[in-house]
Order: sequence, then C-alpha cells, then structure tokens
Amino acid sequence: MRYTRRVRWVLECDSLGKRFGMRWVFRGLSLRAESGSVVVVQGGNGSGKSTLLRIVAGLTAPTEGQVILRYGAQRVAPRMDYLGWCATDGALYRELTAYEHLSWWATVRGGAPSREALLAWLARFALAERAHERVRAFSTGMRQRLRLALATWGQPPLLLLDEPDAGMDRSGLALLERILYEQRTFGLALFATNRAEHARWGDLVLEMGA
Amino acid sequence: MGVVTVAALSFASLGVSLSVRLQAGVLWLAVLFGMFPALARGFISEEELGTADLLRLGARPSCVFWGKWLFHMTLYAVLSAVLVPLYMLMIAPLEGAWWAWLGLWGLGGVGLVTVLTLCGALVAGTASRGALLAVVTFPLLLPMVLMLIAATEQILHARPVGQSLQGILGYGLMLSAGAAWIFEKIWRE
Repeated sequence: MRYTRRVRWVLECDSLGKRFGMRWVFRGLSLRAESGSVVVVQGGNGSGKSTLLRIVAGLTAPTEGQVILRYGAQRVAPRMDYLGWCATDGALYRELTAYEHLSWWATVRGGAPSREALLAWLARFALAERAHERVRAFSTGMRQRLRLALATWGQPPLLLLDEPDAGMDRSGLALLERILYEQRTFGLALFATNRAEHARWGDLVLEMGA
Repeated sequence: MGVVTVAALSFASLGVSLSVRLQAGVLWLAVLFGMFPALARGFISEEELGTADLLRLGARPSCVFWGKWLFHMTLYAVLSAVLVPLYMLMIAPLEGAWWAWLGLWGLGGVGLVTVLTLCGALVAGTASRGALLAVVTFPLLLPMVLMLIAATEQILHARPVGQSLQGILGYGLMLSAGAAWIFEKIWRE
C-alpha cells in the first residue's frame, strides 16, 4: 500500500483484555493514538506492558476486545506489515552478523537494499564497524541497538518498543530518544518502560495496573 | 539416531537372516529416528531462542512453513545419503527397480517431512514438547509408515508397486494441503 504523510495513522485498542488461566492481566483497556504521538506504557512487573505490546503487534491474541490500525478511514490488515517491533527478550540469530540480520530482515520485508544502504543504516546505530561480527559476540547494549535497527528499518508507521532502554548506555539512550522524536514525523509509537524519567519522551502515559 | 539404529540392528542380527518385512521396517524406522532430532532445528529451536517472533512479524505463514519444510526435506536427503549406503552395507542390499525406489523415497520423504514439520510447529510453543510430539505425530505418521513398509516389501519382492505409490502420493498430498492450511491457523496465536 502506498501512503503519504498527509493521511494520519490511527491505532485503536477497543476494550482489550487478556487472561492467563484464571488471572486477568488487564481488562477493559481502550486506547486511541494518532500519527505524531508517542504513548509511554508504564507499570510494575507483571502489569501487562509486554502483553499489551504483543497484542498490538499481533503476536498474542487478546482474550477480549480488538486492535485496529487505520490509515485515514481505511482499516489496515494485516497490521504486522506496518509495524516495527523491538523487545528486550526478542532474540536474534546468534550465528548471523548484524549485517546479515538487517539484510535478511529487509528482504523478508520486501525490499532489496544495496550493501551501502544497509551499512549506512547500521552506522546510524553505531554498529557499522562491527557489522560483520556474529551477534553472539555482541554486548547487551549492542544487541539492543541491533533490535532497534531492525524495528525501525523501512520507517514503519507503528513502532512498538518493549523496554528498549534496558541495558542501554548514555549514547544509546540519546539514540532512542531521537528515534522516538523522528517517529512522530511519519507515524506513532508505543514505548513500554520501567524508568519513570523516560516518561517525558512520550506525549501520553498509559499506567498499567493502576 | 538413524545410524545408531542401523548399526545396533545389524549387530543384533549378526548371522541371522532378517525377513523382508523386517528389513523394510528397519529401513523406515532408521529414517524416522534420524528425522526426529532434526525437529529441534526447526520450529522448536526458533521458539526456544525466541526468534519465532521475528519470523511471525516478518514473513507470511506459508513462507515460513514451506521454508522449514524445504529445510527438513534437505535434511531428509542428506540423511538418506548416509543411511542408505550404511543400510545396504550392514543390513541388506536394496534390490528391485531403481525407479520404484526413487519414487518411494521421494514420496515417502514428502509425507514424513510434512507430518514432522507440522507436528513440530504444533508442539513448539508448548511446555512438554518431547512427550507431546510423540503423541501428536503417531496417528498421522502411522498410516504413512505402514504404507511405506508395505511398498518397500513389494519392491524387495519384485512385485508391482504402482498402486502403493499412488496411495502414498495421495496421503502425502492430502497431508501437505492440510498441513499448510492448519499451519496458517496455529502460527499466529
């Protein structure tokens, strides 16, 4: 689908609920966010931040309610094609290098980028110098940068970040702040974090478990 | 595992002539034992490493299924290249029409790989994968393995095998179509 920046993307969560066994993690959660906004999702451990992001990503089915992504008035399906997803526990292939990861991801997303374009994208995340090293040799922060590089590749209109600030050094946090700032120009983001001071990066704070 | 099966049975039956039915059974048992550990390299390892979510987000379910199927099929070919000469050396020579063997091997591979790929995907997200895998695969694999053993016996006896191959082809096609459809339903929760 071709899209222009004049038409706004809208994410709607309608009365979402998720139950594991007998326990409801959350229930009756409704949310509406448009292009140009960053929603910070906060809450204690087990409050359902990651579950919410997984539901929005389409990786987990909600027990009740629905998630809709709209482009203007048009409902977009499947929304997986229009989102970038980065989670702290999101694994990477240990045998692949950062460059191979990005090249593979760009291919499955339907592109055929040049080597220069891929390296330039990795350079943005300070990974160009170690682009051809296997991920198994990467530190936690570097892996997180690579996850961010994959999530933001192709400028997806909906960016879902599940605690991307975990294990990040100062320059990594600055990079993350810049990514969220830029995301507003072409879409929206949901950003789950445990760090209260990062709530200022968002326009709206969703407090889970409150 | 397949190699161990062939070697163990050849030592156990040293000096004893195995019946044709038993020879056919040993051949497919060895293939199955060799294929089962391969599942760990398919969907189960993706789930354990957490990379399955990347695949769910990035690729269409049909691409994932047929990609894994192709990987398992390649593994089946490699396993066959090791097992068949070993079997011929240690158990019994594979006599009969070469085209019949080729057809049986190809069609048998399609059926076995399809069942194992689908069942691997079914159990990958569960807690007790090992036990569940055996339970889930057994009813689907049993008819296929029985048909393969019967067809192998027919080839070894130099009897016509066309009808048996047709049966295996039909079952394999039915499984492939069903597996691809079921996979689309289960892959994204």
